[in-house]
Amino acid sequence: MAELDPLIHAPARLQVVTTLSAVSEAEFATLRAVLEVSDSVLSKHISALADAGYVRSRKGVQAGRRTTWIGLTSSGRKALSEHVAALRRLIDVVD
Amino acid sequence: MPLHPALAAAVAIQVATAAYGVADHAAAGLAVALAGVAIFLGVAALTLHRFRRVNGVRVDGLASQIVLGAGATSTLAYVCAFGAATWAAFESRWWLVAAAAVAGGVGYAFGALRWWHAYRLDPAAHAGGASPRVLAALAVAACLGLVALMVAG
Repeated sequence: MAELDPLIHAPARLQVVTTLSAVSEAEFATLRAVLEVSDSVLSKHISALADAGYVRSRKGVQAGRRTTWIGLTSSGRKALSEHVAALRRLIDVVD
Repeated sequence: MPLHPALAAAVAIQVATAAYGVADHAAAGLAVALAGVAIFLGVAALTLHRFRRVNGVRVDGLASQIVLGAGATSTLAYVCAFGAATWAAFESRWWLVAAAAVAGGVGYAFGALRWWHAYRLDPAAHAGGASPRVLAALAVAACLGLVALMVAG
């Protein structure tokens, strides 16, 4: 039975992975706007998720400026799916 | 993403030019058919580039719908339109070529619109698709296949 994943349980990281699950890749600035956090805070979250193999990043060019694209890996999708399943089981107990 | 008139027009042009090229059996027909493919790929690339620039995200499922017509509606519309347009071109019924091409273009774009609505309802389930590299390889293969079809014909 899948358990809660402490790495993506924190609200900001959960929002990162759920946002990325809906797309193939998202621009760093787009994620920052969605989460409403600073560059450094988002970078820390992305680094932690990348270290676990949940996300991958690559450098690119968008509208003539350098940017970073971030995508969820298959491990990250699996981890999110299991985490959501565990959350649903917990929520089902309430009422 | 509304029913994209540019995509519908590009598909219609591609269908009509390919039908003309297949029926023509000459270098001019080949050039016309390849020009149609180039117009379609140009419009598809522009549409995807604009989507990525405006939204700051890349969705491979959308690219597959636009470039490959991966959905059942788009595929059916394209195959039927191309078949009808090619038959009409061999019969020199040019008004029918145009009608089939327009119907194919509208059907193809409608298929993309249907996918878009499905994506809005469940993004995670519909985000996946062919990667840009795979799409580029398939585009090259489609051009080579078209040339082979016309040379062999």
